[in-house]
Amino acid sequence: MHAIVGENGAGKSTLMKTLYGMHKPDEGTIAVDGETVDIAGPADAIARGIGMVHQHFMLADNLTVLENVTLGAEKLYGIGGRARKKIMEISAAYSLGVRPDVLVEDLGVADRQRVEILKVLYRGARTLILDEPTAVLVPQEVDALFHNLRELKSEGLTVIFISHKLGEVLSVADDITVIRRGTTVASVTPGEVTRKQLAELMVGSELPTPETRESTVTDQPMLQLEHLTLAEGGVSAPLAHTGAGGTTLPESATTETVAAGRKLLDDISFTIHKGEVLGIAGVEGNGQTELIDAIIGMHTPDSGTIRLDGTDVSSWPVRRRREAGLGYIPEDRHRHGILLDSPLWENRILGHVTEPPNSRGFRLDIKAARADTERIVEEYDVRTPGIDVTAASLSGGNQQKLIVGREMSHHPKLLIAAHPTRGVDVGAQAQIWDQIREARREGMAVLLISADLDELIGLSDTLRVIFGGKLVADADPATVTPEELGTAMTGAASGHLETPDDAPGAGADTEDGRR
Amino acid sequence: MKNAFKFDRERLLLGIAGPVLALAVAFALSVLVLVASGLDPIEPFQIMFSSLQEQDVQVLIVNQWATYYLAALAVAVGFRMNLFNIGVDGQYRLAAVLAAIVGVKVSAPGPLHILIIILTAIVVGSIWAGVAGVLKTARGVSEVVSTIMLNAIAGNLIAWMVLKDQFGEQAEGSNDLTTGLIDESGWFPGIKVSDFAGEIYGFVFIAAAVGVVYWYVLSRTRFGFDLRASGASESAAAASGVDAKRMVLVSMLISGAVAGLAGMPELLGGTHTYSSNFPVGVGFTGITIALLGRNNPIGVAFAALLIAFLDKASSQLNLEGYPAEIAKIMQGLIVLSVVISYEQVRRYGQRRQQHRVGEELAAQAKKNRKEVSA
Amino acid sequence: MRRLTQMAVASIATAALAFTVTGCGDDSGDGDSGKGGADKGAALAYDIGGRGDLSFNDAAAAGFDQAKKEFGWEGMEVEPNEGETDADKIQRLTDLAKKGYNPVIAVGFVYSKAVGEVSKKFPKTNFGIIDDPVEGKNIANLVFNEEQASYLAGVAAAKVTKSKTVGFIGGVETPLIKKFEAGYVQGVKDTDSSVKVEVKYLTQPPDFSGFADPAKGKSAAEGQLDAGADVIYHAAGGAGNGAIEAAATAGKWAIGVDSDQYNAPTLAKFKDKILASATKNATGAVYNLIKSVHDKKPQSGEQRYGLKGDGVGLTESNPAYTAMTDVVEAVNAAKAKIVSGEITVKTEP
Repeated sequence: MHAIVGENGAGKSTLMKTLYGMHKPDEGTIAVDGETVDIAGPADAIARGIGMVHQHFMLADNLTVLENVTLGAEKLYGIGGRARKKIMEISAAYSLGVRPDVLVEDLGVADRQRVEILKVLYRGARTLILDEPTAVLVPQEVDALFHNLRELKSEGLTVIFISHKLGEVLSVADDITVIRRGTTVASVTPGEVTRKQLAELMVGSELPTPETRESTVTDQPMLQLEHLTLAEGGVSAPLAHTGAGGTTLPESATTETVAAGRKLLDDISFTIHKGEVLGIAGVEGNGQTELIDAIIGMHTPDSGTIRLDGTDVSSWPVRRRREAGLGYIPEDRHRHGILLDSPLWENRILGHVTEPPNSRGFRLDIKAARADTERIVEEYDVRTPGIDVTAASLSGGNQQKLIVGREMSHHPKLLIAAHPTRGVDVGAQAQIWDQIREARREGMAVLLISADLDELIGLSDTLRVIFGGKLVADADPATVTPEELGTAMTGAASGHLETPDDAPGAGADTEDGRR
Repeated sequence: MKNAFKFDRERLLLGIAGPVLALAVAFALSVLVLVASGLDPIEPFQIMFSSLQEQDVQVLIVNQWATYYLAALAVAVGFRMNLFNIGVDGQYRLAAVLAAIVGVKVSAPGPLHILIIILTAIVVGSIWAGVAGVLKTARGVSEVVSTIMLNAIAGNLIAWMVLKDQFGEQAEGSNDLTTGLIDESGWFPGIKVSDFAGEIYGFVFIAAAVGVVYWYVLSRTRFGFDLRASGASESAAAASGVDAKRMVLVSMLISGAVAGLAGMPELLGGTHTYSSNFPVGVGFTGITIALLGRNNPIGVAFAALLIAFLDKASSQLNLEGYPAEIAKIMQGLIVLSVVISYEQVRRYGQRRQQHRVGEELAAQAKKNRKEVSA
Repeated sequence: MRRLTQMAVASIATAALAFTVTGCGDDSGDGDSGKGGADKGAALAYDIGGRGDLSFNDAAAAGFDQAKKEFGWEGMEVEPNEGETDADKIQRLTDLAKKGYNPVIAVGFVYSKAVGEVSKKFPKTNFGIIDDPVEGKNIANLVFNEEQASYLAGVAAAKVTKSKTVGFIGGVETPLIKKFEAGYVQGVKDTDSSVKVEVKYLTQPPDFSGFADPAKGKSAAEGQLDAGADVIYHAAGGAGNGAIEAAATAGKWAIGVDSDQYNAPTLAKFKDKILASATKNATGAVYNLIKSVHDKKPQSGEQRYGLKGDGVGLTESNPAYTAMTDVVEAVNAAKAKIVSGEITVKTEP
């Protein structure tokens, strides 16, 4: 099991794509099983036993697992009983626990990832490439994944995986290659290096920490949520399902799998003060997305009020809220944060089209917007040759830096930061944390949602745990451990998390709506 | 800054490469078709291009251009935000017939009369498109389906309106139904080229002006940015504060208004009446042109010119004894090659850009390393 | 800088457009060349559908072919494009006249405006137009009393019907086809006022598929058969073939239109059930016009073709029809009354 680590834009993804035949190398050779090969494309790579699990899953939501796995590989085992048998065989051999007849859209992130892995194995891969496989998983799921990967390894398969999470890399990899700005800077084994050394190799400088203990919390409330409730089916976004062709999926397709009237958000109340970072921990799909959407104005809650800086904004449209000082770093940047096919300077305007420097009156001020984009690129170290390249040609971390730069440039009163450093390298991570801390000191309130528990604990002034649409626990980041949080996230603990052994509400709510 | 310029020029080159590649492929395929059908593969092209030198053909092309350009802009407005307004044809015809009826019924001094007719067309076009917009925003009905159906309804509505019981007129002994002739005060003045070649419709310049407005609104205003953002990514636009429903409705209204204008060059400059002889299918040609011109106002202008030329050239071919279908086949081949070549060029461009970004970063890294070692 | 460039490109493009038109470019026409003469022969400008539509265009083409053979020239045939404007038609006719074709014959009222304008530019060329009254010294208007033939079809239908219900299928609801309906209905009612007439139009203009799509004709006819009709008269061009098929398959009578459909090869399977056809001699009309120009005695003004002179009529090719002597008698009597002016057939329903 070989791990590849490096900063964003260091060339990890490019390297993987080259291996997978999506790019052609200008120079150099690739050898598989000691034999030098020339990989012409993904199909060729698969034929040589190289399979890839992408960072963004490539599954068709409205097909079943079986259909997704056989799609494009119908020749191997057909699409019927033989294929099903083969899938069950692979699933059992590596304890993937895949159910072939479930629709992919009903699966959680971890399950989807297992489907992706199965898809690759089904095609006969002997070498697996996983691009940041743990970025979307919670600790328990990560453990399960690593268990699966070890099974694969013991069967003689090769696993190459890319990660930022150095702890994971050290615990699971047999060899580690560190690359920086397109070149290999070190090849080490886990025994040789500490986590800190590895990080320094990667960044090429001293390692930052997310720790921050000087409190800047004031007593002036910035965001107040009162009894926010949103039930399934109350989602008021009829256009959300319409694609380019205007086809509308029947509502039932998405709702029939959950109990009717299930509460996505259940009586959520909290206050974030100026200068405060409120962290929300939770397994994905427990209401975080809905909570963000409700605050930003994309979903209208069934009941409850939202106050921003003392004003009731519950009935305001998205734009008005954003103009009022709402910054947004979305969890899925491709869906909500950037326009992939537009140049960087247009992406700088996105979300702030009505605010200076982007426009004057009804007109865009393109000159000013471009100049400001140059500034953001400079200040936030967005690695790009220019501001006219499309956002799609930047690496994920650099896209994120652009988004953070854009949002911070408007000095938000409240920043909603969903996984602000997901897919971002250590160096940029520190920078983003610094930016958030800096703005916090000046009185910005932050709602932080993250799957990275270290980040949550290190950055937050207050911590809450969301489970099944409810805030079930709170914790003091100064004393809580990631393990305690993890327990509460699965619904196994609630109330105030004090010490590991003292969880008075343990066991409550466990059967509630969990997938 | 230097880099920015380089990328820009490259983008322009790639922008031109698409259509050029498409035309080259279409030309080659057309030659194959001609050879396969046992015809001279070169002479038709000579005929088509030599017809270009004739003044009356030029006038025809330019006048046709105005209609096509407006129809294509109407389609392009929708395309820019992923709305497929197939109903441009119905909007255009309904607007033309009602504008003609109003034009006949109303008498007013010159400019005012013309203005009333144009406004009628704009309002009718946008209302008809607005129906599809409302259906989409309120009930989630796909605009593709609703506009096709509205086309059919418009067709029957028009057939009913031009009946003699309603607004139609039928000349003694004639088999044609018209809406009657608009007073001369409602004729849009044109530029006379010669007795023989006739005149260039004045509305040609209005069409060009609409193109400039389209360009300005889309690339230089907040509204245009919101519209383009919605087209590029609906979810990102929604998160950025664009009201998706409002945007759908507004862009349908604009699309319909421009579609309404598409009938004006012919109505105000040519026929001055709506009859069963009024051109049909213009809205569908508009879709082709918008695709060919990539929804870009300048690209669409050239595409409209090309299609207008092919239209007129096909008549010339027919007069020289070639089947008129040859030009139709060429149009089809062009559309086909366009779709393929644009996708090819887009992919190439994307790859190249990523490559460039990588190169740039590698160069930076090398420099950094040197600095470090120095 | 960028903005400026884009603006410049836009304005250059516009200017270029204007230039091509006003600046360079010679006249494609040198006015009235006057070199016209019978040597180049006639030109025929078709309506949409062109040669091969099995209907009106073909009838005109037959007259053209006959003249071509007889006078030994090549002539010229042209077809319109879908969605073209009057300006295109003007240009087409202008080109034909300029090239010296004489006469230039336009098929259908769609050419009304074009013939009117172009005929003024070429006073020495003779123009013909079918189904339209546009006036001009050098224009011959070939018009037909379709309603008279349809009246006879109505008489025949009323005579043979047993269910006291007959059908009429119009291709496209235009004034021209309404003439067919008017004559037919009047013929039926004058013969037997108790007979019911089912009327159905396949499409509305500008959707002209009602003249072309046999499936539409078939389903319309089936509807009328279900309603009890046992004679169906169609004025629906190619779409009418479907109506004939439906009627014949059900063992009921069909009445054809335009040409003698009893002898049409494509309908041979159903010929026994084609009672008769209401014909319109477009072939003869076109031939006559060309011949008149050839003979240097060009026709001009209205050339009306009615029952008188057999410009329109009801065929008697089906022996089953001629065997029904009472029907034939009634039809002939009606014909005599129309020719004598005793009966005036309405042109509008």
